[in-house]
Amino acid sequence: METQYVGKRVPRVDALDKVTGQAMYSVDVELPGMLYGATLRSPLAHAKIVEIDTSAALTVPGVRAVVTGKEFPFTFGHMIKDQPFLSIHKVRYVGEPVAAVAAETEAAAQEAVEKIRVEYEELPAVFDPRKAALDGAPIIHEDLGKYDHGNVYELVPGTNISTVMKYSRGDVEVGFSEADEVFEDEFYIHPVAHTPMETHAAVVQYTPSGKMLTVWSSADAPCQRAKDLAKVLSLSFNQVRFISTYSGGGFGGKGAIVAEGIGVALAHFTKGRPVKVIYSRQEELTASQVRLEAYLKLKTGVKKDGTLTAREAEIIWDNGAYSSKGPEVARRGTLTIFGPYRTPHLTLLSRLVYTNKQPSGAYRGFGTTQVTWACEAQIDIIAGKLGIDPVEVRLRNFYADGDPYINEQIMHTAGLRETLEKASQEIGWGQKKPKTTGTKVRGKGIATTIKGTNTPTDSYCFIKVNVDGSVTVLTSSVEIGAGQKTVLAQIAADTIGVPLASIHIPNPDTCSTPFDFGVTSSRTTYHMGNAICLAGQKVRRQILETAGEILKTDPERLTLREGEIIDRDAENQMTLKELMAKKYGGKGGAIQGEGYFTPAGSSLIKAKPGIEWMSSIFWMWATHAAEVEVDTETGVVKVLKIAAAHDVGRAINPIGCEQQIEGSVIMGLSNTLFEEFKMEKGRIMNDTLADYKVATTLDLPEIVPIIVESHHSEGPFGAKGVGEPALAPTAPAIANAIYDAVGIRFKSLPITREKVLAAIRNRKP
Amino acid sequence: MNVTIDLTVNGERHRLEVTPWTTLLELLRETLHLTGTKEGCGLGECGTCVVLVDGSSVNSCLMLALDANGRQITTIEGLASNEELHPLQASFIEKGAVQCGFCTPAMILSAKALLDRNPGASEEEIRRALSGVLCRCGSYTKIIEAVRTVSKEVEDS
Repeated sequence: METQYVGKRVPRVDALDKVTGQAMYSVDVELPGMLYGATLRSPLAHAKIVEIDTSAALTVPGVRAVVTGKEFPFTFGHMIKDQPFLSIHKVRYVGEPVAAVAAETEAAAQEAVEKIRVEYEELPAVFDPRKAALDGAPIIHEDLGKYDHGNVYELVPGTNISTVMKYSRGDVEVGFSEADEVFEDEFYIHPVAHTPMETHAAVVQYTPSGKMLTVWSSADAPCQRAKDLAKVLSLSFNQVRFISTYSGGGFGGKGAIVAEGIGVALAHFTKGRPVKVIYSRQEELTASQVRLEAYLKLKTGVKKDGTLTAREAEIIWDNGAYSSKGPEVARRGTLTIFGPYRTPHLTLLSRLVYTNKQPSGAYRGFGTTQVTWACEAQIDIIAGKLGIDPVEVRLRNFYADGDPYINEQIMHTAGLRETLEKASQEIGWGQKKPKTTGTKVRGKGIATTIKGTNTPTDSYCFIKVNVDGSVTVLTSSVEIGAGQKTVLAQIAADTIGVPLASIHIPNPDTCSTPFDFGVTSSRTTYHMGNAICLAGQKVRRQILETAGEILKTDPERLTLREGEIIDRDAENQMTLKELMAKKYGGKGGAIQGEGYFTPAGSSLIKAKPGIEWMSSIFWMWATHAAEVEVDTETGVVKVLKIAAAHDVGRAINPIGCEQQIEGSVIMGLSNTLFEEFKMEKGRIMNDTLADYKVATTLDLPEIVPIIVESHHSEGPFGAKGVGEPALAPTAPAIANAIYDAVGIRFKSLPITREKVLAAIRNRKP
Repeated sequence: MNVTIDLTVNGERHRLEVTPWTTLLELLRETLHLTGTKEGCGLGECGTCVVLVDGSSVNSCLMLALDANGRQITTIEGLASNEELHPLQASFIEKGAVQCGFCTPAMILSAKALLDRNPGASEEEIRRALSGVLCRCGSYTKIIEAVRTVSKEVEDS
């Protein structure tokens, strides 16, 4: 199909709002009578609350409400309902919200917070998930067995283990016995902050008369959050209304109730007045959520020629004090530890463990980043030991179309090989190294990844062609910053046959926009894109039928392109605007269509009974190739270039794909080389951006995004997704390049200059 | 103990009463409702609050409103004139330099401060000038390209 917009480098439809400062974010929402919230947070990692005295806080002029877990004793949790809005009886991490204040000004709220007195009885705390998993560890959730939770999560009451996931295929012992070499390695990947430039923020209003709870926020899945809150507060779905704003960055961090929770608690006590809660940067870094830290053991059997025979994986994930999306990361997010490789014998044990730390949650890649780190570093170790080129070892084991996945799903649209070929070619793989000058040594590394999308999930949309021919697309897909609106508008424009400029996609409002699973799992282009195709085809058909009636001709002879209705013989012609005017006259009206998409039932996701949930309606493949320069005198690793090739199915908007790839690479570089929390007794010591370092323009390497298009048979115009997998291969590609440069294998992240320098100095002469 | 200040913001003069501890950022966002200027940390570390004070880029969270007395302030809202975008704004759109957009106003204003004093700025000079503004979406490649496109036009003409 010929397209006007799909596949083109269309400028983003939200860019004008953003370059002129008109885009409204949660922090910009201002309502009449709005109060400001502030939060008192726990100074201790694990303690019983003996008493809270709020009397002094209540006397501060301007204070309208002071709330603790006693007044608002509810808990939430999308997967395991274990998290109080405000501490109930005990605190489980430094930074946990204990009490909150709503006041006429931010200053009054802050002053009142400082006047709240809390008496604690400190309890032993545990910060290392490996220790927390042992018998005798301090128990963080005594009531674990009583928590309401998704039935797929296997909790172990009486322990700190909140999810156990086991998987096996074939017989690994047989696989290891068939191997010529068996490799056993342990890896560690650290927690990192999402660091959206807009911290978590929300404005919440609760109208007691109608029991209406309205939340303005940039949550990435407004329908899910509305559903969560309705359940917790015994409200119906239509009594909880999420109004989405633009989002100042999410990266998974806005996939949970965070600032919203403080606002919800306060709003129940402000007599209908809205409350605004903005997290400070310190709160964002210490008390929102982080990427799950993980300890990964990987045992792999290999034939001399590099063929994998068996892999055994054991992972301990750090859940932190409460379960955001950790349970699903430890379940679904763990599976791709085996990489994009055919392996006959497999076994996996994944455990998610509570610790007295800030909650962990979804982080761009949903576990894929963590498991890819281990998988791809080990493949490099294997290649080195066997004396086979790392590219060659990967090619030898790669999935191809028609291969069975670990649950027997048949792999499709595997553009994997092409990503490896193109990325390695771009980096000059196999070329002779330049001669070392001085202390600076160069090296190249490569890593691949496989990432699925949560399957099956639902998206609905609703399209209105208005009286003047303009088009409104109603969806609950948030513009999280990744270009969702642009891609969806392009799909709508080409499906209906109208100019892109005639399309408007308002921000979601769960009161009126239909259900969507959320902007997560790189799913929006595929799922909402398909829903828009379905709705768009419906309105297009109605338009052409109406045109047929007006023009007294067979609608089959008509086509709609760029808002012009054209007869096959070009005799009759009219614009969509004219058609709408003729149909409705001055009366007003609209041509409407709805679209519902789910991949459930697609033959592409058929798999072994019982484990179909491991299937993905589309697989995203990527290879990153890095070239680094290591200064052996200072330990500084300079990333010179990263070639990042991604199979996106079809690039609906190549600019958008490049933005995702380039953005992920610099985020991955920053995570790998700079970012690290420094903790003392559970307290994060580096709680500012001066001390928690993220990459700037000065750290930017040459990034070459390479788009591979494998055309998915059921994707909208052949598209898949790209947002999440782009982060995963960056860390192992850099680490593998460092090994190539200086022969030092890092199995633990981050790779800071101090660690590099120490390793170089400790190297045996 | 309020202080009266007189300043010009985006060409409009304001005479205002402020407390001595009000920051320029608070004044712009809360009093003047110019919310295009963002707060990302309040400590001068993220750069999303950059505005121009007499043409120089300043972290407005670190400047007291009373120090802006008698000065000319430009925020992102004041950049386009009569619906016509500033070349940097147009270039940011065209080159795909905008993702979530939260740092965009600060990036554009920092670039403007640079190009106003060094119209043909090199890539290296652009990198340095923008290094005080963080962009977690990682749009750096395209942001630098967008600014360089504008500075190159000067160089080429």
